[in-house]
Amino acid sequence: MSEDTVRILNGNTFVVSDRRGDITPSPEFPTGLFSFDTRFLSKWELSVNGERLQALSVDDLQYFETRFFLVPGKPTHYVDAKVSVIRQRSVGGSFDEQLTVLNHSREAVDLVIRLEIESDFADLFEIKDVRNKKGNVYVRPEHGRLRLGYEREAFRRETLVSSTAPATFDERGVTFDVRIQPHGKWVTWLHVTTLGTRGTEIRRSMHGQPGTTNRQLRRELESWLARAPHLTCQHESLQQSYRRSLVDLAALQLSPLILGASNIPAAGLPWFMTIFGRDSILTSLQTLPFTPELAANTLTLMASMQGNKLDDFRDEEPGKIMHEWRYGESAAFEEQPHTSYFGTADATPLFVILLDEYERWSGDSQLVGLLEPEARAALDWIDEYGDLLGDGYIRYQTRNERTGLVNQCWKDSWDSISYHDGRLPDFPRATCELQGYAYDAKVRGARLARDFWGDPEYADRLEREAADLRARFNRDFWVEDGEFYALALDPNGRPVDSLSSNMGHLLWSGIVDPSRAEAVARHLLGPRLFSGWGVRTLAVDEGRYNPIGYHVGTVWPFDNSFIAWGLWRYGFRAEAGRIAAGMIDAAKFFHGRLPEAFAGYDRELTRYPVEYPTACSPQAWSTGTPLLLLRVILGLEPDGDRLLVEPAVPTSIGRIELHSIPGRWGHASAASG
Amino acid sequence: MADPIAEFFAGVVRRRYDRLNQVTGTIRFDLVRDHRTTHWLMTIEKGDVRVSRENRRADCTVRLDEALFARIVRGEANVYAAWLRSEIKLVGRLYMLDLFQRVLPGPPQARDPRPVARRGELRR
Repeated sequence: MSEDTVRILNGNTFVVSDRRGDITPSPEFPTGLFSFDTRFLSKWELSVNGERLQALSVDDLQYFETRFFLVPGKPTHYVDAKVSVIRQRSVGGSFDEQLTVLNHSREAVDLVIRLEIESDFADLFEIKDVRNKKGNVYVRPEHGRLRLGYEREAFRRETLVSSTAPATFDERGVTFDVRIQPHGKWVTWLHVTTLGTRGTEIRRSMHGQPGTTNRQLRRELESWLARAPHLTCQHESLQQSYRRSLVDLAALQLSPLILGASNIPAAGLPWFMTIFGRDSILTSLQTLPFTPELAANTLTLMASMQGNKLDDFRDEEPGKIMHEWRYGESAAFEEQPHTSYFGTADATPLFVILLDEYERWSGDSQLVGLLEPEARAALDWIDEYGDLLGDGYIRYQTRNERTGLVNQCWKDSWDSISYHDGRLPDFPRATCELQGYAYDAKVRGARLARDFWGDPEYADRLEREAADLRARFNRDFWVEDGEFYALALDPNGRPVDSLSSNMGHLLWSGIVDPSRAEAVARHLLGPRLFSGWGVRTLAVDEGRYNPIGYHVGTVWPFDNSFIAWGLWRYGFRAEAGRIAAGMIDAAKFFHGRLPEAFAGYDRELTRYPVEYPTACSPQAWSTGTPLLLLRVILGLEPDGDRLLVEPAVPTSIGRIELHSIPGRWGHASAASG
Repeated sequence: MADPIAEFFAGVVRRRYDRLNQVTGTIRFDLVRDHRTTHWLMTIEKGDVRVSRENRRADCTVRLDEALFARIVRGEANVYAAWLRSEIKLVGRLYMLDLFQRVLPGPPQARDPRPVARRGELRR
């Protein structure tokens, strides 16, 4: 389903259709026109004289507009159409579709052009079962337009469909009776507006900036691409995925309502077009050398949404960084906890890490000063609410037993954390990478305290705590006979003894004892974890290993980018290069767009990376992957006001030049070899 | 029982909020009961919070039912969820609602996760 869909988007408004441009309700996949987490169109099906159309081709013009070339009839027919149809659509402030019907014959034709229109106003969280809506759906054909609506108490959503050409609207859609002259054409513009409460356009009703027009979007995209560093290389797949990443990063940008016009990266299309703490922070880390404004905006937003109270339903605690925000009906009526939900144990230390890394690149000490209270509150959370059992490790266990997340680390599916024999540990769980992030946050927090907050005592304390954490961690998590770090500790302090990709994040955080780094690197690139494309989430001989299991055997590009960064940090440049080369090779099979995840099969076995069935695409942190890999293989590292460049580019990639890298040095260039 | 709204605002002005140190702005609550409207004006000036009953122009004006507001300031109702349900009419800067949210208490029955986890009270 996912790969046969055509998607256009603008912020949290997006359209997912089939290759004919039709929207047909699907219980598995979010097809339709969506905005603010509500489906505004669930059916949008075109026919000509009672016949559905078939696609000749689809042009992806921009991420916000596309064009379909169609002819009537079934795909099995020999195509000798007297009539063809062009649908050109875009999402800007509204959803607009230009419908052109061409008569290729020498006689005039009389056509009945019909568009079936429906909306179920499903919340994104009820796509799989939309039967029991608590409010009322209504349909009102009006003069020259069709109004579809949904009302539950004061919560209201409406879809308004109108046409420029004369049309007859009824409760199920719109009909055009047209005569087209020989070799002539007929055109109409269909205009779909999405309304919120009190009949105002939804974004405006939520106090957002007005929607952007296509012309503005086009200009913004051009300027975004022009501002980004310029990559020169001979390697086609790298060049392609770099360009694709920049465009997709532009596409995935969201301007959160409380930030005004500033953008942050949303997590992914179509399920995750909203604010996620973890995804926005990790994507900002990946893209810092290229598009540093994303980091600044993410930090500002996360600070402003930081937890400040105890709330069991939302898993909120003072100092905690948020996980997910939603605007839909399920959030409004508290059937889901997304206003905001805080079920994440990693976003809080990652927030401090991003703040420090951002300053090292940008020199923006003002933001470091401005966010001091939030950074301190985040550091406090690590030792207070984060340390659930008082054993000095960050752990998680949801207090929302109905809709809370079971696993609050990046591997957030229910079965992601298991012992070697496949059993699932009890809660609260302390996954290993959380401790790495906590260590790194303390080390970086110490630098901020000393250099910017004028508090050397606090800096000393953080450094002592970091050293203590590192010593304890290397004692408690190390699996002696296997020579690797356990995936987690269970509530009794026993290691959850699976071999997993999480160890790569430990290298990135610096918590790994140098004497053990080589064993860790050997595992990451060994046959149990490394597939030939990248590092699997779980090793092949683990009880729950499944090459197409979401977090138990698939290869995640974003995971690999941080693993490569970790290897680089410990001096394993060639190993980091191998992962980079594997990922860039894989990207070629997806036209430069790395998916959320692909199967963990051996490269030798399949020869191409098999996409995970319901993977989100584009997904922000997959989009950020080629950028972080470029940073790693070029060896880019801020050193005071200079940019250090120590390239170790795999020979298969060849020479690379990267120009106009923004930072506290102004703009710098880097080249390999 | 004392007026929970007056009690809440009295508590707010007594405390200091580190996370409001850098911000300045005003938010006015227009509380509706039996077709009558009463006002509370909250002024944040670099961490100092002042409250008055003036019906003055503010950066953000929020109109809602007084009973709902009483539940919000007791932590029994969530201000964002109420806003998403359109039970709150907001004019002006949405950001001020975010600042106001920072001085609100959590649900009265909320638990500190640590003793809860240490006693092993949760099922999953």
